Amino acid sequence: MSTENPYAQYYVVKKGDTLSKIAEEFYGDKMLYPKIFEANTDVLQDPNKIKPGQRLRIP
Amino acid sequence: MRIAKIFVALAATALALTACENRKDPAEKTIAQIESSIAEVRADAEKYAPEELKGLDESVATLKRGFGNKRYNEVLTAAPSVTSAVTALKESIAKAKADSEAILAAAQAEWTELSSSVPPLVDAIQSRVDILSKSRKLPKDVDKAGFETIKTDFETVKSDWTAATREYAAGAAADAVRKARAAKSKAEEIHAKLGMNS
Repeated sequence: MSTENPYAQYYVVKKGDTLSKIAEEFYGDKMLYPKIFEANTDVLQDPNKIKPGQRLRIP
Repeated sequence: MRIAKIFVALAATALALTACENRKDPAEKTIAQIESSIAEVRADAEKYAPEELKGLDESVATLKRGFGNKRYNEVLTAAPSVTSAVTALKESIAKAKADSEAILAAAQAEWTELSSSVPPLVDAIQSRVDILSKSRKLPKDVDKAGFETIKTDFETVKSDWTAATREYAAGAAADAVRKARAAKSKAEEIHAKLGMNS
């Protein structure tokens, strides 16, 4: 069982969000969206399918 | 009559000498006891109360000089205050030891907190720095020069944390905690500058 890093950053998906959009907001570069996907494979199966309310870790 | 006076004078001298010799053994024993008491705590005294120990050693030297000059009464008169000083020295050592142990316990407790909070903080920052280093642009609140400063400061944080860990392992808990506390504070600043505490 892994414990959450208290210093990790999290983001709750809003309606209309995409991983690219989130990557652009946090990294300034939408092409870095795979970093967010790879950090959240426990809740995401497809980088193109995210749902509002999902809590994603932003590495 | 004159012979009687001489006899009395001689008798008085002999009595005085005998009395003086009678004080020799107690004086010698008293000095030995004081020295023995000091010897029991000398190592701790050198560490925790060096100034008091120095003063006491000077007092013992004075007693010994008096003994060497056969001033046994003076030795026996001065000895109680030296004995009291030995007692005071022991009390000072006990207090300094207790204070030192309390400081060490506090440092160890703080180290436990630091050693559980700094590594995840460093990991989180490292992850973000690695990703932003690959980014073609930076997020809106971080400019290029600011990011370079962040990277430099972060390298300092990591080396300070490594040094603190090494110092703690070597037994220098208080110094390690001081260094680790500063490293954590700097890391928290970096974390905030990267916009990671939102």
